Amino acid sequence: MKWFNPETIKPWLLLLPSVIVIGFLVGYGVWEAIAESFREWETGKWTVQYYEELLMKEAFWDSLFLSMYIAISSTLASLLIGLFLTRVLQRYFMNYRWKSLVWLPMLFPHFVAAYLIILFLSESGILSSLFYHFGWVNEIADFPFSIQSQHSAGIIFTYIWKEVPFVILMLLPIYQQFSPEEEATVRTLGGNSWDVFKTTEWPSLFPVLIETGIILFAFTLAAFEVPSVLGITYPKMLPVLSYQWFFENDWSNRPLAMAVMIITTLIILFIAFLSFWVTQRRRMHIARGR
Amino acid sequence: MKPSIVQLVKMFLLGCVFFALVTPLLLLLLNSFAHEWRWPQIIPASFSLRAWSVVFSDPHIWSSIGWTVLIGSMVVCLNLLLGLPAAKALAYYEFKGKSLVETFLLLPILIPSLAIGMGLLLTMIRVGLADHWAGVVLIHLLPTLPYTIRILRAGYENIGAGYEEAARNLGASSWKAFWTITVPLLFPSLRAVLALTFVISLSQYVLTALIGGGQVVTLAMIYYPYLAGIDRSVTAALSLLFVLLPILLVCIFELVSHLSRKVVTTNQMRDET
Repeated sequence: MKWFNPETIKPWLLLLPSVIVIGFLVGYGVWEAIAESFREWETGKWTVQYYEELLMKEAFWDSLFLSMYIAISSTLASLLIGLFLTRVLQRYFMNYRWKSLVWLPMLFPHFVAAYLIILFLSESGILSSLFYHFGWVNEIADFPFSIQSQHSAGIIFTYIWKEVPFVILMLLPIYQQFSPEEEATVRTLGGNSWDVFKTTEWPSLFPVLIETGIILFAFTLAAFEVPSVLGITYPKMLPVLSYQWFFENDWSNRPLAMAVMIITTLIILFIAFLSFWVTQRRRMHIARGR
Repeated sequence: MKPSIVQLVKMFLLGCVFFALVTPLLLLLLNSFAHEWRWPQIIPASFSLRAWSVVFSDPHIWSSIGWTVLIGSMVVCLNLLLGLPAAKALAYYEFKGKSLVETFLLLPILIPSLAIGMGLLLTMIRVGLADHWAGVVLIHLLPTLPYTIRILRAGYENIGAGYEEAARNLGASSWKAFWTITVPLLFPSLRAVLALTFVISLSQYVLTALIGGGQVVTLAMIYYPYLAGIDRSVTAALSLLFVLLPILLVCIFELVSHLSRKVVTTNQMRDET
């Protein structure tokens, strides 16, 4: 049989170490988390009581809405700003020096980025000092903006600063592939800039935007570091809530903490599946010539 | 008239981008050397090395830098060991189930690593990996390996399979072909993997706290208490350490590879003469 053909087995041999490591960590970890969320923590009996309890908790729903709001708005804002900047400034970003500069925020851990937001935008931050010199505020309390309240702006700003460079670096390779001839073709046929964008750039941009969007959404929904620095006490983002329950005095809330993360996982997988389906449908449309 | 306005807007945008990218670093530098900096002063009233001396008099600072570098380097090495063959397979081979494997290898990006870490904790405690650097290294593979495979795969696809095959056909061992052909050609991708993996590893607070159980004290572990404190200059100095460490590492990497390339070329020249 073909199975014994070494050329057939070779890619699998090369992939095996990664597949085993990821398969074990993800598979076993998720399985254990699911099992612990469905087991009574003292007796180990199977139960759905923790999910029932969770869905009755207002704290959970408030956290869920806050997390969705932050994840969706920071993802969309990063994608839009990243796309806009890449499109307008692509010529500069392809230059080696600018590209290294765009890399710079990638070197900052997320919690350091959160601290930067405190330095810039908090009541006693740089912006507030500048406002004083412009005569817009007279004392610290006058500063009109709070990074913690006001729709979690601090968290969202942190993510935007960190993720826009990521979006730019994901999109640049696509822009490098575009040829001026394609644009010229659309222009000779009487198309304007919008037509150029829609017919030559959008089809190749769309899948990458979707992919980048899913990566960002999954990350912001499930990340602990930034909201633990800039978040408020109530409501907390889902991972912060889960972590708090996980380490509460006795272990009685651990199944609840697991259930929170399992639900977070399901939301991400659902959104990822949905977007994957949309891109596949589009791809088939393109293949059919429409 | 019109093109010049467009040009002006572009210049303005470029200025904003430059400002957004560079001022944070400058602000941290300024802050870390500030002796007195009260609201509403735009720049500090006086400068000193106080913050830096506070940072380096922290009893845990050197050991935490040591652990951070050790764990980060182990994570980088494991990423390369696992990622290089996987990326090669995905770049050069067509086989049944390829797209399935691709999706599978991306799972750690989608599934919250906190969920996985919480699930693994009990088992890690049982087998002695919890509260140990090895467990921390293992869990840091989750947020890094998918990116490594992605970057290296793109690198392999860029260079194509031809060069290595040519070297093999000319009689080079696969080991020699790898070191003399693939590594130099993959160099930009390898550097990107090194920087990104190291940065992601040292940015992990919650996974390290969870699996390390407070016993594995990395820089992130000592950073959080300072964040809650009020001494902004000290926090700024610590923040800079996080940025400087990966830059330093990349510089060392560049230096070593530069030197080794020199050694290789001089050896070759000696062989030829």
